[in-house]
Amino acid sequence: MTSYLNFFGCVIPNRYPGVEYSVRWVTGPEGFNMDAVDHPQFSCCPVPGIFYSTDKETWLLLAARNLVLAQDAKRQILTVCNGCLSSLLKATEYLQEPKNMGKANRILAQIGKKYTGVPVKSEGKRKVFEPVKVRHYIEVMATDVGLDAIRQRTKRSLKNIKVAVHYGCHYLRPTEHMTFDDPNEPVMLDRIVEACGATSVDYEDKLDCCGAGGGVRSHIVELANSLTQDKCTNIAAAGADCIVTGCPFCLLQFDNAQKSFSKDGIPVMHVSQLQALAMGIDPISLGFDTHHVSAHSLLRKLRGV
Amino acid sequence: MSEVEKTFIGGLKEKLVEDKVIDESELDPNFAKEIQKYGGKDVMTCLQCGNCTGVCPISLKIDYKTRSIVKFCQFGLKKYTLGTRWVCATCYRCYEHCPADLNPAEVMIALRHIAVREGIIPPFVKTAVTNLVKYGQSVKPDPEIEKIRKELGLKRVHSEDPEFASVIREIQVLVHASKYDKLIGIQEEVKL
Amino acid sequence: MTAPAPQDKGATTSGQDKTKAAASAPRIGVFVCHCGSNIAGVVDCGKVREAAEKLPGVVVAKENKYTCSDLGQEEIIKAIKEHGIERVVVASCSPRLHEPTFRKCVQQAGLNPYLLHMVNIREQCSWVHSHEKDRATGKASDLIRMGVSKASRLEPLEAREVPVEPTSLVIGGGVAGIQAALDLGNMGFKVYLVESQPSIGGKMAQLDKTFPTGDCAICILAPKMVELSRHPNITLLSYSEVEEVKGYIGNYDVKVRRKARYVHEGKCIGCGACADACPVKVKNEFDLGFGQRKAVYVPFPQAVPLKYTIDKENCLYFKTGKCLLCVKACSNQAIDHKMQDEILNLKIGTIIVATGYDSYVPKKNGVYRYWEFDNVITALELERLVNASGPTGGHLIRPSDQKTPKRVAFIQCVGSRNKKLGIEYCSRVCCMYAIKNAQIIKEHEPDTHIAVYYNDIRAFGKGFEELYHRIREEYKVEFIRGRPAKLSQDPQTKSIKIRAEETLLGKITERVFDLVVLSTGLRPAEGSIKIGKVLSLTTSPDGFFAEAHPKLRPVDTAMDGIFIAGCAQGPKDIPDSVAQAKAAASSAAAPMFARKVSIEPLTASVNEDLCVGCGLCTELCPYGSPELVVSEKGGMKAHIIEALCHGCGTCAASCPQKAIITRQFTDEQISCEIEAALSTTDSQNGKHAGGKKKSTAEV
Repeated sequence: MTSYLNFFGCVIPNRYPGVEYSVRWVTGPEGFNMDAVDHPQFSCCPVPGIFYSTDKETWLLLAARNLVLAQDAKRQILTVCNGCLSSLLKATEYLQEPKNMGKANRILAQIGKKYTGVPVKSEGKRKVFEPVKVRHYIEVMATDVGLDAIRQRTKRSLKNIKVAVHYGCHYLRPTEHMTFDDPNEPVMLDRIVEACGATSVDYEDKLDCCGAGGGVRSHIVELANSLTQDKCTNIAAAGADCIVTGCPFCLLQFDNAQKSFSKDGIPVMHVSQLQALAMGIDPISLGFDTHHVSAHSLLRKLRGV
Repeated sequence: MSEVEKTFIGGLKEKLVEDKVIDESELDPNFAKEIQKYGGKDVMTCLQCGNCTGVCPISLKIDYKTRSIVKFCQFGLKKYTLGTRWVCATCYRCYEHCPADLNPAEVMIALRHIAVREGIIPPFVKTAVTNLVKYGQSVKPDPEIEKIRKELGLKRVHSEDPEFASVIREIQVLVHASKYDKLIGIQEEVKL
Repeated sequence: MTAPAPQDKGATTSGQDKTKAAASAPRIGVFVCHCGSNIAGVVDCGKVREAAEKLPGVVVAKENKYTCSDLGQEEIIKAIKEHGIERVVVASCSPRLHEPTFRKCVQQAGLNPYLLHMVNIREQCSWVHSHEKDRATGKASDLIRMGVSKASRLEPLEAREVPVEPTSLVIGGGVAGIQAALDLGNMGFKVYLVESQPSIGGKMAQLDKTFPTGDCAICILAPKMVELSRHPNITLLSYSEVEEVKGYIGNYDVKVRRKARYVHEGKCIGCGACADACPVKVKNEFDLGFGQRKAVYVPFPQAVPLKYTIDKENCLYFKTGKCLLCVKACSNQAIDHKMQDEILNLKIGTIIVATGYDSYVPKKNGVYRYWEFDNVITALELERLVNASGPTGGHLIRPSDQKTPKRVAFIQCVGSRNKKLGIEYCSRVCCMYAIKNAQIIKEHEPDTHIAVYYNDIRAFGKGFEELYHRIREEYKVEFIRGRPAKLSQDPQTKSIKIRAEETLLGKITERVFDLVVLSTGLRPAEGSIKIGKVLSLTTSPDGFFAEAHPKLRPVDTAMDGIFIAGCAQGPKDIPDSVAQAKAAASSAAAPMFARKVSIEPLTASVNEDLCVGCGLCTELCPYGSPELVVSEKGGMKAHIIEALCHGCGTCAASCPQKAIITRQFTDEQISCEIEAALSTTDSQNGKHAGGKKKSTAEV
């Protein structure tokens, strides 16, 4: 059994605690009973739109600090956010170069930490290290847990629910780092949605960006919202009941943007929330009242009303 | 010009009509090297095919085109890049499609590095960094959300824990060691 | 006079006997070249010459402004005769330039040409140390000291001559192969042309018209194809493959496999009755899947030879044991399902490789959606659709609904000039063939709107720019600079919407077209990989066969006697392919006219007393030169086939028994250079001091 460390990032605990609850529920004893524990010292990944954009050295230090915690705990990092995935995974790639690792370690020494990677085996006196493994929730669900296991655990029928999946940009690209799903035809999230019993609808420009990332939402929110509007138009045209994504920042963007161009809006949730619904959780635990777009219509449909 | 356009281009559109001929003195020969220094790869190999613009979700919406921005960097027309720096969503589509294997998103990031080092720091950057050195998270905790957390049976957010103080201290040490606090101008928040 | 052979560790020089022991060291002459200011501008040649004079064994040292000139060479000859020089050291440019010149010069003076040693004080000294004149001078002196030491240990060698079989093998029956075979045949040589397809003609036979004149491709090619088939000196081996090539220039043993057609070539008259009778219909490869053929077929009507072939995989008889309708229909009893492959053994003198190219195939789920959208086709598919003898009789139709397209887009640089794909080169012909294809479409349907999405337009050849001008002025074709970023399909009409930034406008546009043609690039032919292995040919980084020198030897390869021509060497158009074919034929003819060729003696040699027959050398040699043979002295010993040996030294360096030497690069010859390098000369009394190398500033 693989051992994980939960990495919730900043947005979920502070804006969408319902997602945190559903992740814990799905991975916990009532769900798939995975060996996933918290680390009390995880900080912000650091958010790539701010830190990677303004000073790569600082970004690498902050990311390395988090990676060292996982390295010492000898566990894989389980992220539930595309941004955290991108930040931490890219950091492991950067740290593979001895020059970057040496430079980072010199400063990490000031806080008593050292990044080496996870020791894999010993060749005589020499230890061979592997970079710390950073995994995305969707990929872990699709491969480690497996679609069969997901199918078996569905208690509530989602059969008439149409879902529009949104992968988000940093799950797919850059392809040299993100290699687990096909960047032109990703399938993992669709498959999880289908395994939960819902239907994943195809819509125009499915792989387009939500608009929020890279600081765009913070800098010119109208620009971000305009991209989201395009996506929502296509999603509505496909007749979807809800939007499911693997990234809380995309979730935040969809959730907040719709009121600027649409009266009702399509409810949006994290994939863990959909899974929890399928596995029979009481919807009140999903924290939908923190969402701006009401999920009433969806929940009514679920109850068969 | 609409409000949004003013924000994007910052009045430069009007200025563009004034500049009928670009004089050599306006070209910064070192700009391309600076871009490369901050990870932008060698922009001089760009053939200006326009594929990056075609796949860019932002280029669809605003007057600036990804390809043009790379061209400005090639020339060293720094002032023409001024309105563009924080509009890139870093979706990396441009990198995926570039036949010359360039990374325009990284060029944008290099432009941001240069801007910040010239003292141009957007307020949201300062806010996020301040949050990091105060709470260990870039998003400030919200007491309303804290209530909901309690209702759901979740623990308090990390940053409320007294043990987390050591983490905040570690972050402050790192941010100070890389001189980031000085760069962003949040020295007074870093209490070491 | 020749110096006595020095004591080598077990090497035998070809034909020389080890004569009396050295009574005195050989008399060495050193010639320092100025090369204008190339060397003299950095190295103090006077100082270097003075120092050289004091080296042991040197009887005369001279300087010259241009040693390679007639005057310079005469000086060398004069000095050799005057001073009784026995070894010559020329300190000048790289031997790659003038070694042959000086060898001939030395030979004229009566010396064995292999008693010359060149020291490179230009590319390896003055040109790379131009900012450090003192140190460069010191280095030049060091290099000459090393050279003199080596020269004292050179041995005379004789070049060998081998006979050349006046028969040529041309691999590949496209336009290049056909032209090369015709030229060689006309020169009076016997030629075998081996083509893996049932007919010759290659890709050119599939084209409709050619640029810039609009000549019909098959109309200009077919006469050559027929001439070849009737030529008394040329044997056409179609539907055949080269399986094995052994030997060396002038003396190749080639195995050719004649694949079974299941139709006797001698009896088939090409009437087509069998095909009429055959009930099986399959997709036609010649029409790229758009047309159909039967299981017994000729690939196209003008095929040469016009003999039918049975496609074993689709023939009913082979699959089920029933049918044989073709046998009944044939009036000549030409069909024989029991035919077997045949192996031919040929004796060949020279080989020309003209294996051509394959078109780039776009990726699945790629930007251009070639596999997903019906109305996105490749350029070669377009050629078949507009060709009068193609599947639609020359009517351009959209694959989705067979209607005539009103708006056609060409997308350039598909599978070329793309670092991401790993295909960095330009395919050279696509700009012009797109323009040519646009012209053809406009001639058929003048109302069609055509747009070409390009990055650059390369109209470099004779008549090319004129056609490019005409296509804009007369035919009103639109040129859009921008690389398409996204293609989407209308679900009802199946028309394609192209989104691209029109870079010259600075705007992103979306335009709808009925048909999109991808100008796909040229890739190395699939079959060339096998041929490369069979012939030990290297490829350039782009995957095409490597020429011996990119500027001066475009049709030679590193293997003597093997030449390349046409697209096998790199993407090019028909006139360039034909020119290269003629060049290759001419180069191949040279040794065949002379009936003999001389082999450089700087080869490896095995001392059988030391060899234990481990075979390591046979595994390491890139040229297949060493072989294990039964020795007269008993047991298996390595033997070097001198004609194949390039003198690289790999075998000699790796032999665990030190049984192999490379002539002029024996252990002793190399060691003495190293010792000379590490010593410092006390130039006054010519003593060699051992120990660490001191600064070379003082000479």
